[in-house]
Parts: sequence; structure tokens; C-alpha cells
Amino acid sequence: MDAPVASTGGGGTNGNLDEQIAQLVQCKPLSEPEVRVLCGKAKEILMQESNVQPVKSPVTICGDIHGQFHDLAELFRIGGKCPDTNYLFMGDYVDRGYYSVETVSLLVALKVRYPQRITILRGNHESRQITQVYGFYDECLRKYGSANVWKTFTDLFDFFPLTALVESEIFCLHGGLSPSIETLDNIRNFDRVQEVPHEGPMCDLLWSDPDDRCGWGISPRGAGYTFGQDISEQFNHTNNLKLIARAHQLVMEGFNWAHDQKVVTIFSAPNYCYRCGNMASILEVDDCKGHTFLQFEPAPRRGEPDVTRRTPDYFL
Amino acid sequence: MENSSSNLSSLPEEDSQNGGTAAQSASKSPSAFSSKPDRPPIQAPSQKYAPLDWSDYFDQEDDVHIPDSENVFHFYKAGNEGPVVLCLHGGGYSGLSFALSAKLIKEKARVVALDLRGHGKSSTENDLDLSIETLCNDVVAVVKTMYGDSPPAIVMVGHSMGGALAVHIAAKKVLPSLAALVVVDVVEGTAMASLIHMQQILSNRMQHFSSIEKAIEWNIKGGSLRNVDSARVSIPSTLIYDDSRKCYTHRARLVETEQYWRGWYEGLSQKFLASPVPKLLLLAGTDRLDKTLTIGQMQGKFQMVVVRHTGHAIQEDVPDEFANMILNFISHNRIGPHGVVIPGLRRPSQ
Repeated sequence: MDAPVASTGGGGTNGNLDEQIAQLVQCKPLSEPEVRVLCGKAKEILMQESNVQPVKSPVTICGDIHGQFHDLAELFRIGGKCPDTNYLFMGDYVDRGYYSVETVSLLVALKVRYPQRITILRGNHESRQITQVYGFYDECLRKYGSANVWKTFTDLFDFFPLTALVESEIFCLHGGLSPSIETLDNIRNFDRVQEVPHEGPMCDLLWSDPDDRCGWGISPRGAGYTFGQDISEQFNHTNNLKLIARAHQLVMEGFNWAHDQKVVTIFSAPNYCYRCGNMASILEVDDCKGHTFLQFEPAPRRGEPDVTRRTPDYFL
Repeated sequence: MENSSSNLSSLPEEDSQNGGTAAQSASKSPSAFSSKPDRPPIQAPSQKYAPLDWSDYFDQEDDVHIPDSENVFHFYKAGNEGPVVLCLHGGGYSGLSFALSAKLIKEKARVVALDLRGHGKSSTENDLDLSIETLCNDVVAVVKTMYGDSPPAIVMVGHSMGGALAVHIAAKKVLPSLAALVVVDVVEGTAMASLIHMQQILSNRMQHFSSIEKAIEWNIKGGSLRNVDSARVSIPSTLIYDDSRKCYTHRARLVETEQYWRGWYEGLSQKFLASPVPKLLLLAGTDRLDKTLTIGQMQGKFQMVVVRHTGHAIQEDVPDEFANMILNFISHNRIGPHGVVIPGLRRPSQ
């Protein structure tokens, strides 16, 4: 990530970048040097963004993608192409699906090409540790023959903003609230450029879930917390918010209201992991701040790998 | 697949073996090979695979007699404080499958590792009745006999068949002090799919061993266990001496229990999700989740850890990592000797 990054190779013209985007839209990965240059440019853009990145409406808010590239293409067909439609993605681009490389490459390329038109937040899977277990690391190794591209991307993930604020009233983030965070200024003030920690406010933002029970609870996930309606109401009141939009949890209809419409969960990976049978959705916020959910089903599959897995050689 | 980014190599036994047995081999006459100057001393298999005693790892062993029955269950204990970590082994294993990890867990919790019906040193009226109902009743009876009406907080840890058993017990809600559930490398979808291979797998096992050392060696070389020290303490308890054939054979007669296998795993994923206590699922190597658990995991209903560089018996292959995960899980969920303790955190009851 040092010397040869931003200055060489890419040429720096949008023409070149447009070609790369056209290639990625075909689900064809970039070369390793192209990824390196692209991520160098993305880093310059992302490091300027706030921990609470302001976003204007109209914008379409999206949840988890998880490497389901063909469903991301379907999302763009339904929501409109970038930059015709502004997008806000709330993290979890990689792992689980078969096309994490193409998915995250395309989103980062769009970010570099149209920095004002697309916002890409960090999810709990945009992490070195998680990606080594859930597929992105192995996919990079398989597609590039080394872990270099994985390292380039995971180094870039450290710069992704953690949250966004649409028109000062919709607070968007991957996971949820933290007992260590009362105000948006609390978030603005910490240094996000690091691996996702195992605990603390930054971890909570990427891991927490809303819950039917009041107050804070220990998260069954082993990281973050659960937070009740009382917590959401207080946070929204303190920060003059109308809504918390978040992703992180699979919801069968693709979206799910909670906490008396103070919190909404948006999940954008249909038939998650190619086996869950869920719908996906995205949330359009229009000029007048009106909300419309667009639901969609899995895109028709073209030659995707068979999902049946080898049965284990044990049973006892 | 093995990547260099992890230092969780499962091979330390080679080094620790050489170091650990150098002293022992001194008393034996050196082999021809060991006289070569540029090589470390070669161990005879009888030393490298020599059995180790349970007492190196547990504090105590004992039997519990179930009242009004002929059933006697053997168990191993370690530790004096914290919640009880009740360990249920997999089919064909024994309580000593948890020996190496118990030695570490006991620093902060009380380990109780049971020999289940038909296994280890337990003896019952019918060792072949491995139906899930009977196994559940056995564990509940053992807990009741050991602790009476005021049992301590119990963290139930089950491996494979024992994991399925733990889930069934949790779902029945028959252990009032159950505080948490840990399931080690068993998932309904993949277990059911592998049922048809079970008899084949069993018949492919070596059936007779001329010595205990040979059985330990076979398990290590065949790859079913990767940690020599664990195999040295756990394997002997899975064998019995067959007087007629003058050799050792498997203690648990699993081949004759086929009628019960489906019952171990049927409905497991739903029952796991439905049990109201904190849950940890440890998987060896790869994500084996079926649809139900994939949805549950993606809804944040339990904690899952995929452990790399280990075989099926995670607690034996990587006991340090296993013990750490158990202790972290206990402390994260704030489970004390009498249940969940949450200073300053509201956690309304379910």
C-alpha cells in the first residue's frame, strides 16, 4: 500500500475507469495491479469522509450483499443504475457468496468514479478476521493465486465510513447502537481507521441488533449488544432523528420495521447463501423524504457453482 | 488450504512429543537409529503412543448410581469454582475426550465430563439403548442425583452425538439451572446427509488392536484425532479387552444402535434455535450450516465460531483454543456459579 499506489498504471482517466466498470458489470474481475490502483484512489476519497457521512436525498438505501453479484446486478436493474440513482450501501459486500471479489470491486469502482453518488459503509464482514473464515480470503486466493488482493481490500476497508446521515434525519449503519454512544458527535470523534475491534463502540455499531426486550442485552452473537425500543427512542430523540436504518440481520421479506417504526432492517441478498429462501429489498428515500421499499427475488442464475456440499466423513 | 496466517498449527505434538519423551526413552536401550548423531532420538511406537492417565488432567473420578436402577455412570471432575461445564462426548468417545481442555477450563469453571451409556466406564441395564430419550433421561438423572434440588448453573457442552443430546435436553427444558449451550461440530442437515455413510464408516474402522498403543497410533495416523497427547488419554477409555480374541476392541457397540441414529439429529436445528439460553456453535474447518441454522445465524440468534486446523474432535485437537472459547463464552454471557450475573445491564427474563 505504499509507494507505487496512486501514481502508476491506472492512467487516472475516467475513460479507463469506465472500462473497468463495464468489465466488472460483466462479472469479470480486475487484474491485481488494477485493484491496487483502484483501492489507492478509493482510499484518498474515503479518508476524507466522516464517521457520520452526510448524504442528501433522493437516495436508495441497501443492506447486505455478501458476494451475490448477480443479485447486485438485479438490484441495479430494479433501483436504477448508478449514477442515475444515488446509493447508500450499509456494508457486508463480501463473504458467503461466490463473487465477493467482483461485488466489492464494482462498488469501490463506482465509489471512485461517482464519489458523490454512492456511499459505501463498513459492515462487520469488512474485516480481516471475518473474511478469513467466511470466504473472501479463499476467493481472493483462488482468483488471484495469492492473498495480495485480499490484503489490498481489507486495508481499504479500514477507511470505510461507519455510519451515514440522510438529510439529518435517517441514521444509517450496518449493525446498531452502542451503550458507549449517546450522540452522533461521539461517533464523529473516534478514529475509525483500524481493524474492527472485538468490543467497544466501533464494534457495537457493526454488530448490534434491535430486540423486543427493553434496555441493553448481551448479544447472542458474541459481539455487540441488543438494544430495546426505549434505547432507540432515546437515541433518536437525543439526535433529532426520525429513523435508524440498518442491515446485518436476515429478514424474510427483505425489510422489517421494529421499535414502533423507529428502526428498520434492510437486507439486500435474496435467497441468502443460495439456500435461505428470503426476499431482498432496498429503500428509496425520495426528494420529499418519502419511503418506498422495493422488494426483489434472486436473479436468474447463469452457471453458478453447485451449492451442494460434500458430506462430512464423520457422524459420531 | 492450510494458510500461513494462522499459527494454530495442529502439529505441536511432534515437538512436545520429542521433548516430553526424551527423558523416558533414556531408560530404554537406544535403537540402532538413535545412535546416528544427526538425528533426534527416534521413539518406539510403544512410547510415542503410550497411554496417559486421566489424573494428569482431572482432579477426581467417581461413579454416580441412579436410584431405583442398575445404572451407574462414571464421570471425571476438575475445578472448584464457577459454573459447571457439563461435557457430553460423541458416539464412540468417552468423557476423557475433554481431558486436555478440562485441565484449562478448570481454572475458572467446574468441569464434569460424563461417560454416556454404553461408553467408557459407565454400566447400565441396557448398553445398546442409545435412543435419544434414554440418553436425555440418563443425563437428567445424573444431574439430579449429583446435585439434588439446588443444582449450580450448568453450561452444557456436547460434541457430535453428545452435542445433539445437549440440544435435545435443552429443548426439553428439564434442567432448570441450564445457563448456556455449546454444540461442537454437529449440524442437522449435514449429519442427516451423512447417515447413509455411517455403517460404512464404522465398518472401515479397524476393529481389533493387539495393544492400546496400537489403537492410539491408528487413531492418530488415520487422522481421526490430531493431538497425540489427547489420544493417549482418551483412546484407552474407548476400548475393552476381548478375552476370547486376546485383543482390544471398541467399547461402544455403535453398529448395533443404527435404529437410534436418526433420532439423535431429527429436528436438531429448530430445537437449537428454540432453546432460550445463550448458544455457541463450534464448527471444524468449514461452515456446515443448513438452511435453518443459516437463517438463525444471520438473524443473530447464536454465536458461531469456525475453528481452523482441527478435525471433528475440536476439544481434543486444539484443547487450548477450545478451552479459551468456552471460558470467553461463559464470561461474555456473565455466567456465574448461580446463573447470569449482570451488574448494570438490564436483561429482562424471557
